[in-house]
Amino acid sequence: MKIKEITIQAGNNKNKEKEGYSEITILKGQKIGIVGPTGSGKSQLLYDIEKLAYGETKTKRKILINKERPDKNLKIDATKKIIGFLTQHMNFMTDINVYNFLKKHIKTRNENYTEAEIKKLIKEVIDDANTITGEKIKEDTNLLILSGGQSRALMIADLAYISESPIILIDEIENAGIRIEQALNLLLKEGKIIFLVTHDPILALGTDKRFVMKNGGIEKVIYTSKEEKEIEKDLSWINNHFLDIRENIRNGNQIKELKIKCKPIGDKK
Amino acid sequence: MKIVIVGGTPGSGKTSIIKSIISELKESKIHYVKFDVLDTQDDTLIKEKFNISTEKKISGDVCPDHYAALEIPKIIEEHKDKDLIIIETAGLCLRCSPYIKEGLAINVLNILSGKPSNYGPLLTEADLVAITKGDLISQAEREIFRAEVSKVNPNSLIIDANGLTGEGGIDIAEEIGNTKEIKETLTLKHSMPTAICGYCYGNKIIDPKKTLEQYEKGKELKTKLPNLNCGKCGYKSCNEFIRAVLNKEVEENKCPYIKED
Repeated sequence: MKIKEITIQAGNNKNKEKEGYSEITILKGQKIGIVGPTGSGKSQLLYDIEKLAYGETKTKRKILINKERPDKNLKIDATKKIIGFLTQHMNFMTDINVYNFLKKHIKTRNENYTEAEIKKLIKEVIDDANTITGEKIKEDTNLLILSGGQSRALMIADLAYISESPIILIDEIENAGIRIEQALNLLLKEGKIIFLVTHDPILALGTDKRFVMKNGGIEKVIYTSKEEKEIEKDLSWINNHFLDIRENIRNGNQIKELKIKCKPIGDKK
Repeated sequence: MKIVIVGGTPGSGKTSIIKSIISELKESKIHYVKFDVLDTQDDTLIKEKFNISTEKKISGDVCPDHYAALEIPKIIEEHKDKDLIIIETAGLCLRCSPYIKEGLAINVLNILSGKPSNYGPLLTEADLVAITKGDLISQAEREIFRAEVSKVNPNSLIIDANGLTGEGGIDIAEEIGNTKEIKETLTLKHSMPTAICGYCYGNKIIDPKKTLEQYEKGKELKTKLPNLNCGKCGYKSCNEFIRAVLNKEVEENKCPYIKED
């Protein structure tokens, strides 16, 4: 199914007051941040989107795809599902190696792939996952011994190539051990719409706009300013530099230089 | 009246899922029954939370699923005024579950509890499979698990559910809405595993001859009892009473309904 846009029609907050907008449309290729304190309604918003809610959830929000009410089948059948979900928990439980796991997932999605096609697709997934994480993932690595960073990288690449869900929800994913910008670019390369619950400055400032949640509703929408985009670039550079140093330590090297000089402005905390 | 039977292994989230269903069905008059083997507090917890009528049924020495099948007609008789009876089974056995054709059979399936192909009628005969704890693992594994569930039970509706957040509650409630009212005869979807031997009547010595003797004696006594599980003898079920008689803990005339020779 081709998705051009998704629309959220306003519902109510916890006090049964109308939310601070009537409808918001998000276009293909956009990244949306969702921010706010615990209990402000972030997870409920993700839930409404995941369920393609149409007035039946407690917020009464309605979600439209390409300006229309989505078909019920899209909600129930996982292989038709248009929403991919990347949660905080990225644990695996199956005792299987990476290659066979991806193969199993590809076959779940599409039974008609040939062995050669499966092989090619798995190579793409692993190669791209390896651009996101520092520690290389191999085909014969057991799923259960992957590090946190490797698991996250693998699942992001899986979402990009195998799940093919055009809309992706990301719930407070940790950026430890992964190059988060590369990860998001990988997902956006496939023309997806991304919703990110995050307070990570790199992630939050890397979005096109962010929903500020309060009391169960979307209180306002902040468009990412030029200054914020510049700050995001610098922070992302620092994060990647950090990862390089981490890799050097892992590989048994001595650290020779820090490619950044900084001094705190203002009083020390 | 409609009947919903909820089965699933211990810790799969049956009670939490039932809570999220009840909170979606505020308009209905519901009676909730919890079957268990030793003890449970779920009936009082649900009563306190939703102020609906609840009860617990403790099976003791009898297989809780056989016991449930024996008790269901009584429950229906006593709650004719209700719109919906929700029965939560003890959830011990994968081989069996007292699902009823005329009602809705829900299997609450913990995604962390092993391969779907290891499950028997508990999963394969369910009308609706509510997969829980999916938030603990990756989406890819969730999809694979789901595909495996639909392989062993192609006709079921599979719903991702989470008792803590209430996810899936709306969808299950909608399915209950689509369920037909029960008719006069209720039929088990699947025959239960047999359990008729001397050990069922309390024999503890591992010996074929000894257990056959115990079985003969137990059977004889069983035909004299009313099999009402009325509890007037002081035992939870007629089977427990038979064991006690054979173990010489009690006289058989303790049963007020026993047929004399």
